[in-house]
Amino acid sequence: MIQLKTILNCIDNSGAAIVECAQIVGQKRHASIGDRIVVVVQKQRGAQAEGMAGSSGAKVKRGDIRHAIVVRTKQRVQRRDGSVIRFDDNACVLINKAGDPIGSRINGVVGSELRKKKWSKILSMAPMQA
Amino acid sequence: MSTTPLARRPLSCLKASLRRARQHRIISRHMATEAAQTTASPRPLLGHNFFPLTDRKTKTLRSAFAVYPSTTVAGKKALTPPPVNVLQSLHEAQIKKMDPTGARTALFAKTREAAKVGDVLMVTHRRGGEPFAGVCLSIRRRGIDTAILLRNHLGKVGVEMWFKIYNKNVAGIEIVKRRPKRARRARLTYMRKPKHDMGSVEDLVFAWKRSRKVFSSGKPAAAATAAKGAKGAKGTAGAKKK
Repeated sequence: MIQLKTILNCIDNSGAAIVECAQIVGQKRHASIGDRIVVVVQKQRGAQAEGMAGSSGAKVKRGDIRHAIVVRTKQRVQRRDGSVIRFDDNACVLINKAGDPIGSRINGVVGSELRKKKWSKILSMAPMQA
Repeated sequence: MSTTPLARRPLSCLKASLRRARQHRIISRHMATEAAQTTASPRPLLGHNFFPLTDRKTKTLRSAFAVYPSTTVAGKKALTPPPVNVLQSLHEAQIKKMDPTGARTALFAKTREAAKVGDVLMVTHRRGGEPFAGVCLSIRRRGIDTAILLRNHLGKVGVEMWFKIYNKNVAGIEIVKRRPKRARRARLTYMRKPKHDMGSVEDLVFAWKRSRKVFSSGKPAAAATAAKGAKGAKGTAGAKKK
């Protein structure tokens, strides 16, 4: 249930660490896994956290407005077979306007609802899906 | 009866009209009594009565209706008594269909050897995907909708999943590790708190798989067969090993 002002973790190596939801793309009240949102980068990933993407390698800066895909939600998501999945945090992956991921790597589990929403590029980058 | 002579002779007109009124009364009384009779005691009709309605102009069958004897006439024997608890019998029938061996029912029955909250369970999917293991936080017993809640950590992020135990996509449910002492709560929601969180159960699953491989005496496809086979038996087998 991602809505205006929701704070999400950014789990790719684009340089953003914490982002805030600014808008849901499309006629939606809340965003769920696989939905596209507009975010504002609130906190950059520290230079020591990412060895390669330091102060010079960060692709986004604090205050940037970017598009993102929600990949984990704390709200329960029900699947067609009746099983339900829920994560402990809200997380997203930054993308550009064309829909390609800005980062080159994702660290962390993503929801497999992305497959249904046709975000296979993000799924293939993810180390695991649940 | 022509109306013109009647109009000329008022007395006979009165007579005729009186007669007509009397006749009408008789008819109406007859209708009323007949109606009252049907409402008072519905006569049990033997065999259904078929009433065709033909079209006057084309002489073809326009419509039809049939009157069937009512089955629940007092005094006559009812055909089949309705089940005592309809919903319960429906659930039983569905469970029998989805779980013919009764292994899944047995795995989550309220018995000593059944799985309980606090146990580490592993759910295998039929259609690909990695099996999901986690500590069972709660069991929702609702007949055919019976479901379990598993919690695990995948890459430092807590993940919780509900699984319907009678789902055909769930190929198997196995007990990886039993809780040493019985949990004193029905729902272990406190295990979401950082203080009580078990963390990842990956090492437990790994150790269990390795031990199973040892016990299965050099059968390399033990894991695969176990995932496909009856998981109730496997669950109890795992319990014995534990």
